[in-house]
Amino acid sequence: MDQIVRYFFDFSLMSAFWPDILRGFLITVEMSILTVLIGIPLGLALAILRLYGIRPLNWLIIFYIDFFRSIPQLVLIVLAYFALPYFGLVLEPITATVLALAIVLSAFAEEIFWAGINAVAKGQWEAGRSTGLSFTKTLAYIILPQVVRISIPPLTNRAIGISKGTTLGSVVAVPELLNVTSSIQSNVANPTALTVGALLFLLLFLPFVRFTRWLERAYAHPRS
Amino acid sequence: MTSTPATTAVPPETIVSIEGLRKSFGNVEVLRGVDLKVGKGEAVVIVGSSGSGKSTCLRCINRLEEPTAGTIRLGGQEVTGPKVDLDRLRRGIGMVFQGIHLYPHKTALGNVSLALRKVVGLSKEAAEQKARHHLEVVGLAHKADAYPAELSGGQQQRVGIARAMALEPQVMLFDEPTSALDPELVGEVLNVMVRTKEMGMTMIVVTHEMKFARDVADRVVFMDHGAILAEGTPQEILINPQHQRIRDFVMRSHG
Repeated sequence: MDQIVRYFFDFSLMSAFWPDILRGFLITVEMSILTVLIGIPLGLALAILRLYGIRPLNWLIIFYIDFFRSIPQLVLIVLAYFALPYFGLVLEPITATVLALAIVLSAFAEEIFWAGINAVAKGQWEAGRSTGLSFTKTLAYIILPQVVRISIPPLTNRAIGISKGTTLGSVVAVPELLNVTSSIQSNVANPTALTVGALLFLLLFLPFVRFTRWLERAYAHPRS
Repeated sequence: MTSTPATTAVPPETIVSIEGLRKSFGNVEVLRGVDLKVGKGEAVVIVGSSGSGKSTCLRCINRLEEPTAGTIRLGGQEVTGPKVDLDRLRRGIGMVFQGIHLYPHKTALGNVSLALRKVVGLSKEAAEQKARHHLEVVGLAHKADAYPAELSGGQQQRVGIARAMALEPQVMLFDEPTSALDPELVGEVLNVMVRTKEMGMTMIVVTHEMKFARDVADRVVFMDHGAILAEGTPQEILINPQHQRIRDFVMRSHG
């Protein structure tokens, strides 16, 4: 028991490396938030665009979502960081990682929103249009509020899954939480830092998971 | 072509006029040339077996279905023209659906006031005041803050009627408004429809409620295989039908 504590919870090591770990944690938080803030609205925008049914555009959208749902995130991050400079686009490691993850999230989010749009009964469209609401207004005031409600559970699952992909940023040397803590682990031959890292990941994602659970409940049945 | 309404010598101002309406779904011709005129304040009830094209005919009037051929006019204005402002036109045509289709995320008040705000452009207060009035007309003022899931089917459909009436349309279309309801809830909806007629609203009703057709209709239209087989007073069509086809239908409808 004593050995376990010394091995996984070495407090002197914790305090020594705390500033580095904290910095890594903040970078992870920042990247996760940016990924969600870019990926989900982009996915929604794509789903809405697809709804207007412009043939060539829809082919492009479908290619986009199929491609980015299939390709491994790791490959995408590496490409964004090492290949884009050949096209004159040099990205910071953090930017490259967030861009890659946000694009993947947008592809999944588009599919989720699209399924949600199709799940709303056709009669809702007809009811809205029959009162003189335009296509866009019907979409905005009648369809999308229902779509968002349906989409929240699968969307949060996906957002959490992909946000955890921020750890892949280590391949392009992003000093995010897992990168920092696993470096410390190999430098001092003690996994305490990793333990702290894991606790911090929980600290980041547990409230998020709880919050979305609350959202699901709050949105599921208005006052009933 | 059409027999004149027996109630009035001079036909009232025409609100809806349908000429040569045809509609095909793929190779299936659902409407095979329908002509119908509906006068101001008139209640026309369309009856016929399922598949006879009643609902499709109704849905062509506000172009939820796109007619394949023919002309439809609303108060002299063309509905079927290529450059019609559909959204503007639909404000003048209220519709009540078999499936009701209330917006589940909005209260009764929200359902009725939405188009008043976003189509007519009223302020929130003005729209809600008007919506409350129309909920009162259908006897649901006390349910203004209830969500559709908290209302019975009959109450939901009455909100559906209020939602359409709130825009003060020139004509109300009822597409089998009671077909999805439990039998004991049908009466309250029919009562609201009777009141709607008494307020002078022009109505076109597709229904299987023969008693409603007999008691309330100014004119009954019998559709068969995508065309109007006969039209006339309820007496002429439902009580003393001339066609064997209609006699069979009436017999079966009485159960």
